[in-house]
Parts: sequence; C-alpha cells; structure tokens
Amino acid sequence: MPKLSTVYFPELEYTNDSIFDFPVGIPGFEDQIAFLFVEQPATRPLVFMQSLLNARLCFLAVPVLTVDPQYRLNLSSEDRATLGLDAEGPLQIGRDIACFVLLTVSEDTSPTVNMMSPIVINLRSRKGVQAIPTASEYSLRHPLVPEKETVPCS
Amino acid sequence: MLVMRRRAGESLLIGDDIEIEILEVGPTRVKLGIVAPPSRTITRKEVILTRTENVTASRNASPEMIAWLSRRLAPQLSNDNSQAGDAQGRSRHLKSPAEKH
Repeated sequence: MPKLSTVYFPELEYTNDSIFDFPVGIPGFEDQIAFLFVEQPATRPLVFMQSLLNARLCFLAVPVLTVDPQYRLNLSSEDRATLGLDAEGPLQIGRDIACFVLLTVSEDTSPTVNMMSPIVINLRSRKGVQAIPTASEYSLRHPLVPEKETVPCS
Repeated sequence: MLVMRRRAGESLLIGDDIEIEILEVGPTRVKLGIVAPPSRTITRKEVILTRTENVTASRNASPEMIAWLSRRLAPQLSNDNSQAGDAQGRSRHLKSPAEKH
C-alpha cells in the first residue's frame, strides 16, 4: 500500500480508491490535482485535506453541516459538470456529495472558516472542486468562536 | 471611486488598451464584454479572495491548535458515529459509497 510522510501523519497509508481528483486544483494551488480526505477519531470532526503531490500541503477542513446545519450549497453548472453531476436537480449533502469548509488559523486572528467557497466532492465519481459562487450569502472568514474567547497559539 | 452611467451597447476605456462594453442589462445582472491584451489576467473578484484565503489556510497548525479545534467543533456534531474511524483509533479515508458495502 502506498504511503506518504506528511506534516500531520508521519506515515499515511492510502489506496488508489481514496484519492479524489481535483481537475482544476483550487485557487492558489492550481497544480494540486489530487487530495486525500482523512479523519481520525482523536481529532473528529476535523478532516485533513492532504495533497497527494505535495506531502507538506494539508488543509484543515470540517464538514460544513457541523458549522451550519442549515447550509445551502450553491453549485454553478461548471462545478456540477466538473463533479460529474446532473446540470439541474436538488443536491443532498451526505448522499452522493460531501461538502467541507476550510479552516484558517493564523497568529493575528482567531480561527475562521471559509463558508463562501466550500470544497465539494462527489463520493461516486471521486471528483472534487472548490465552489466559488458569484454572489454568496456566506462569509469568507466566518469566526469559529465569539470575539472575546481566548484561543491557543496556532 | 469613479461612477458612470452607461446603457447597453455603450463602452468605456481603461487606459488605451482595455475596453469594456455593456452588452446586456438585466434586472439583477449586467453582461460585460471585455477587450484587453492577453497579458492582462481577468478574474472574478471572489476567486482572488478565495485564492488569498486558501494560501493563508495552507499554513500548518500546531498540535495544540488541532486539539483545540476538534474540541471546539465536536459538541456541534450529531450522534452519527458512522464515520468515526475504526476501533483501534486509526485514521480513516473517505471513500466512495460503493466501497463500503
């Protein structure tokens, strides 16, 4: 079984059927076209979005519904095509597609999640895309905690 | 910010090498035609904002921060433990639904 030595996992075993193709990468990382989505009991509900081509590149993600159970996903026809989904019709998170939001932790601010541009993966076609709607009701930097609460150093 | 009113079919120039034409005006959206040299990258602003945020998000977090984040997010979890990894506490990959059966 192939292995990766990553920032968060000294030895991460994976199989080919756990790879998700991102045909266009994600903005800023257009050449990163394959990711693994890894979770472990000790750090649930965090999901490690690990690049397959760059072992040092790993995003921290969380299922969008754990942040907002009422989240409404808005996918463009281009994104639907990339994911191999029908051009029209309702989408149900959890059935055929999974939807994650990326966490940002920096020294200057408390942790935020990017609710505006979620990572959407099709569990059947194993394709993924970062959806960037033209007019989103959601925030690029949605705070995880109220202002006053203290946060450990990143 | 410079504000100007234009109708469909009218244009404006930025410098002498970029032309923006208003092609169509709808109730909520306008359709623009842009003529610019190939060296000029034209990108939706949301994509640029997402790119900047992705670059910040790609920085690695400390083990303390990861533990704190999972504690912080865990109470918001539902009772569904079907994705909790295996009994030995090993990591688990997300696979396609067909693979589970």
